[in-house]
Amino acid sequence: MEISNSVLEHLRHVAALPDLAATRYELESEIGRGGMGVVYRALDRQLDRHVALKVLDVPLAGEAQLIARLEHPSVVPIYETGVLPDGRCFYAMKLVSGARLDAYAAGQHTMSERLRVIRRIGEALAYAHSRGVIHRDLKPQNVMVGEFGEVYVMDWGVEAVAGTPAFRAPDASLDQLSDLYSLGGLLRFLVPASLSPAVAAIAAKAMSADPSGRYPTVTAFLADVDRFEQGLAVNAWSEPLWHRLQRFSSRNAVLLWLLAAYTLVKFLLFFLRKF
Amino acid sequence: MDADTAIGGSGGQFPSTQASLLEATASGLSGDAMNQVVNLYWKPVYRFLRFKFQKNNEDAKDLTQGFFTSVLQRDFFSRFDPAKASFRTYIRMAAERYAANQHASANRQKRGGGIDFETVEDQHIAAESPEVEFEREWRRQLFSLALDDLSTYCQQSGKQLQFAIFQDYDLTDGDRPSYADLAARHRVPETSVTNHLAWARRVLRGFVTERLRGTTSDSREFHQEMRRVWK
Repeated sequence: MEISNSVLEHLRHVAALPDLAATRYELESEIGRGGMGVVYRALDRQLDRHVALKVLDVPLAGEAQLIARLEHPSVVPIYETGVLPDGRCFYAMKLVSGARLDAYAAGQHTMSERLRVIRRIGEALAYAHSRGVIHRDLKPQNVMVGEFGEVYVMDWGVEAVAGTPAFRAPDASLDQLSDLYSLGGLLRFLVPASLSPAVAAIAAKAMSADPSGRYPTVTAFLADVDRFEQGLAVNAWSEPLWHRLQRFSSRNAVLLWLLAAYTLVKFLLFFLRKF
Repeated sequence: MDADTAIGGSGGQFPSTQASLLEATASGLSGDAMNQVVNLYWKPVYRFLRFKFQKNNEDAKDLTQGFFTSVLQRDFFSRFDPAKASFRTYIRMAAERYAANQHASANRQKRGGGIDFETVEDQHIAAESPEVEFEREWRRQLFSLALDDLSTYCQQSGKQLQFAIFQDYDLTDGDRPSYADLAARHRVPETSVTNHLAWARRVLRGFVTERLRGTTSDSREFHQEMRRVWK
């Protein structure tokens, strides 16, 4: 059967739309396309609330079950899973509003706020790893920062997803250390190396080409980020003496000021007694 | 531009349990696998060669026919490595290599050879790269074959009404009739129109999926190609 370009495009569009007649959801609009499928905004008619409905391109039920196992403030909760009449799987999840990390990064945010976002992402990853789940495709497009500062990691991967080149570890097979590599990529993306050589060193260690050169776990990575925030030396960087002194002085500024004031008073008293 | 060739034929029966391409060849069904490949790829290869090498209709047909004949004679499937590229890319590159050799050989014989100029009509199509044209034609052929499958299935299962409504709405170029018009035309309630359309689209998607499964090497390639079809 011969078909024109316009009919072809129409068919591709209508045959891809999910048939939700037998569900409680009503399709409203397309939100975006992820690694494994399309995400739509839909109305849950029973509860009269909007949800994000992800329809997978291929009949894989594993992804939804995978995420449903994760109960964490930074993992978007799954409300329901199901199978469409054509065999595709779908799942309804909380509709998150906010900015994707790539848009967020372009805004005016302090170093401390950016590191808070990284910490939230890292905590979600560490939790998932403890449940035996790896993300596989961590990148700015898969992280959402809500209007109240909440952070969500989305699009938890399944085996068919191969990752995104700029954030993908060069590992032969993807595992927890590959996720750690991607997390280092996000840190480098959010905090440019010019802002802090210590943070740049943390990102570089996480992104070591050789997995054995990386942090052993995401928790160890987060501990180094915490050390940086507390003004301590980070494990990833053997800092030069001047930098150590600088860090010491900024960490102990009050003490140094008091010491200076004390020395000045002693000095003045010494001269007053003399004359 | 000359009318496109009809060689390549319409699709066969509903392939309800498609083996993957490599499974088919491994189990000695290379003839079946080849039929599916020819059905799906004849036109994309023909159009690709036509615009890449600026051939007229007949020369492009001959070149395409020659390519598929050579494929049949050589150990084509066993040299395909899914780790390197999709089968779609593999066949396009093989066709390009074959045509380049034929083209060079023909030009040597002409000793300075004649140049085939594109017609004005062809030039606007060639504004897109032949590779893009190949992919679009691949999608078009995939849907064409799936539509043939759907038509046959509807005929055999007494779903002529569903197909007629689908044809009147989804296969219409230009302005589509309203659901109310379709309901009046086919003397059914308007809700039946939407139900029949949803059913036909769903079955069409199933046929597209099956066709694709039969011309990809493994589940990984199949998933990647599914994304290329629907993205």
